Amino acid sequence: MAPLLEVRNLKTYFYTQDGVVKAVDGVSYDVNRGETIALVGESGCGKTVSALSILRLVAEPAGKIVSGEMLFDGIDLLKLSKDDMRKMRGAKISIIFQEPLTSLNPVLTIGRQISEGLEFHKNMSVQEGMEEATRLLKMVGIPHPERRVYDFPHQFSGGMRQRAMIAIAIACQPQLIIADEPTTVVDVTIQAQLLELIRNITKELNTSLILITHNLGIVARYAQRVFVMYAGNIVEHGKALDVYHSPCHPYTAGLLGSVPRLDEPRKARLQPIEGQPPDLIALPAGCSFQARCAYSVPQCLKEKPVLTEIAPNHYAACWVSQKGLREWQKQ
Amino acid sequence: MAEAIIEINNLAKYFPVTRGLFHQAKIADVKAVDGVSFTIHKGETLGLVGESGCGKTTLGKCILQLIRPTSGEVIFEGRDLCELSDKELVPVRAKLQMIFQDPYDSLDPRFTATDIIGEPLRIHNISRGKEYNDRVAELLELVGLAPYMGERYPHEFSGGQRQRLGIARALALQPQFIMCDEPISALDVSIQAQIINLLDDLQQKFGVSYLFISHDLSVVRHLSDRVVVMYLGKVMEISNRDELYKNPLHPYTQALLSAVPIPDPAVEMKRQVIVLQGEVPSPMNPPSGCVFHPRCYRAFADCSKNVPVLADAGGGHQVACLLYETSRP
Amino acid sequence: MATTVNAANASSRPHHTLWGDAWVRLRRNKLAMAGGIFIIILALAAIFAPLITPYGFARQDLTAILQNPSSKHWLGTDGLGRDVFARLLYGARTSLAVGIFTQVIVLGIGLPIGAIAGYAGGRVDNVLMRFVDVMYSFPDILLIILIKAILGGGIYQLFFAIGLVAWVDIARLVRGQMMSVKSRDFVAAARAMGGMGPYITERHLLPNSLGPIIVSVTFNVPRAIFTEAALSFIGIGVRPPTPSWGSMISDGYAVIFASWYQVFFPALAIALLMIAFTFLGDGLRDALDPKLRH
Repeated sequence: MAPLLEVRNLKTYFYTQDGVVKAVDGVSYDVNRGETIALVGESGCGKTVSALSILRLVAEPAGKIVSGEMLFDGIDLLKLSKDDMRKMRGAKISIIFQEPLTSLNPVLTIGRQISEGLEFHKNMSVQEGMEEATRLLKMVGIPHPERRVYDFPHQFSGGMRQRAMIAIAIACQPQLIIADEPTTVVDVTIQAQLLELIRNITKELNTSLILITHNLGIVARYAQRVFVMYAGNIVEHGKALDVYHSPCHPYTAGLLGSVPRLDEPRKARLQPIEGQPPDLIALPAGCSFQARCAYSVPQCLKEKPVLTEIAPNHYAACWVSQKGLREWQKQ
Repeated sequence: MAEAIIEINNLAKYFPVTRGLFHQAKIADVKAVDGVSFTIHKGETLGLVGESGCGKTTLGKCILQLIRPTSGEVIFEGRDLCELSDKELVPVRAKLQMIFQDPYDSLDPRFTATDIIGEPLRIHNISRGKEYNDRVAELLELVGLAPYMGERYPHEFSGGQRQRLGIARALALQPQFIMCDEPISALDVSIQAQIINLLDDLQQKFGVSYLFISHDLSVVRHLSDRVVVMYLGKVMEISNRDELYKNPLHPYTQALLSAVPIPDPAVEMKRQVIVLQGEVPSPMNPPSGCVFHPRCYRAFADCSKNVPVLADAGGGHQVACLLYETSRP
Repeated sequence: MATTVNAANASSRPHHTLWGDAWVRLRRNKLAMAGGIFIIILALAAIFAPLITPYGFARQDLTAILQNPSSKHWLGTDGLGRDVFARLLYGARTSLAVGIFTQVIVLGIGLPIGAIAGYAGGRVDNVLMRFVDVMYSFPDILLIILIKAILGGGIYQLFFAIGLVAWVDIARLVRGQMMSVKSRDFVAAARAMGGMGPYITERHLLPNSLGPIIVSVTFNVPRAIFTEAALSFIGIGVRPPTPSWGSMISDGYAVIFASWYQVFFPALAIALLMIAFTFLGDGLRDALDPKLRH
């Protein structure tokens, strides 16, 4: 069956006074129906920008989707008119943002913000919208929903605001939800609540989910397939189990090695990745990770590696792993 | 047992909530820290974990007297710091330093790196001229930065590098104790490991004690010798590190540990997560009895009536929970 | 330890100090630059007026009253035969002097009061701010007139009068800035090191508050200029024969149907100078705004 979403060679650049920031530089991924994939990477790797690009929410004029294809259910999202794209947002594809405090309108009740989408996409009246909003609040686990639907965002706690955001996102029963760092700002116990909730809901509604995060633990628990991003490119992707157990890119291996694990005996010293992420305006020729890589060979400086299949359904963009020289696995 | 360098006894900080047009009358207190006691030993790292609103940051600031506690004692070098005036604290401050969470806010944007690191030296009039420059260069190298970078301004450094500057600044006066307030939360994962290693190395080298405040349990486990778990201004459990992670006694600690996903899909597929109900209550209106009881999955009738006392459960492991209190008079 | 790796990774962008960075950004703003250049040219013209025009501002020529612009009198003459262009140039001196010197007084009073209120907080802040509120509640112009009535005529008295009223805004601004900077972590760090009040105020709070203060002062100048023009227009500003654009307008108003240039040129001059300062102020605000930096 064809994937629900296919992103092909997406390039999104930002034109600033200091130069061109190549935030997303030729990224391809796909999401199947009912599947949860994860876009993992650190700040500046382009994961958020690529998700905003899908919804064409990149801030113009500075930001621009330069090239690529984004096929959603066969429709190229880049070729849609602005009106048609607006009909997609919230109805077919919706997004949960990282910071509910700034993503919610402080002067509208929670109920109205949920029903906004319903009024626009499903032609409901305000009354019907509010009733549905109440039902949705109950679904996301907010106690006394019939009362809380009239509350304002500042009357909700951080965790509850995120639940409200989830309610807004699922209101029109979209086929795809993008969750951009949905639990970064909440505590660990609330994070557990929210992620379990998101998992249950996506299972119940058979919605696909793109989970964007830098937290390797969350990815391991909730995603079936993983796409690892670095400096605007995907450097590795595959099934979560494969990527975690046999990483094919030094960056992935480095990340996994530098994170302390609660279930393993305590290591005497962590293995960090040395150096800093590169400046996206002045990316080096060749591999962007080379400067921090302990395994680089001369070819890494000259040519930028492309994603190749290293193992069945497991791809990496690295000259060293393509040549079968995966020394970092010997731990 | 190593000697204690800081002893905290029944520390409390209440923030009054006032209302009124002309005269601000107090209607309630936000009990940010409500009776906390523990000891920090020489050369050890004491981890302080808890979620937002538990009071860990306020507690840290109270220890350093950046916020003056409402009651309780902070004993350092035989004196109660709470009793000392700001002026009397100045020489003491040289020995108790702090690293902040936000690498963007904790450095004055108008100071060069050299100015920032050297500020403690200037305030305490410690060195001048060549001696000063040498010391600053030494500190820069100690944290892994090149000496020429001393001319640069904070906005020219990355987040991880700014934290290194903050650490160098904290070390300038060779303190005995450094309070680390979530020093790596704002950094990228790959940089976090660098800073953790740096803190570790510096402790090996200088024997400085850390109070490591964090909400990240995996990191705390890596760095700490002992761990204190806080919830809503009170201590729930204290234990040495291995014991806490292997055998957590308090239901809150158990839930906290269970909530941390392990970066391994095979493990996660089989693991059950304890999902707590409800939200953290407001510190203005804490629950009666045990503050954790409304969310506790092992609560029973007494929990809403009696406040559990932090008691020894064997081998230095202390827990405040009615489940472990053998008898009540 | 990671010495060598981190050394290689300092920012590759050109090294700017904070003021250097602000200057670069200001230069890019064409309107601000235009405003700044206009002010500089006008100031130079005002200073070197005797070299530019042969006419003094007071020389009357009753044979040549209300003449239109000509090669002899570039902008014509007024009702007493005085050369309009010369009066504009010398009037610029008055306007610029008032605009700038009042700020000295404004800063001299407003800065300390705002700084003390902002840093000390509590009761001191309360008392000072209530005093500020009282001052604020008086209508500006009336208060200036009252002060002038007490102090008497003359341009220095005018500086004081305007300055004594305008410091209120700066005080509030400085206080607000102090309070916001006070809550930042680097101030807590300075306290944790043993820094006390005066040290922190001088080395941390004030330098970080400068930006908005500079911008506010730049915006205050056109307000002072306009106030002087307004006062001179109603006759209680500077006294003749000291030239003032405001009194030029007032004189010209009487003969507006005979010669509209009399009102037009001074009014245009006031408008242009105020716009120039406003553009410059806007540009400074954007250039000094730390959030707009990379």
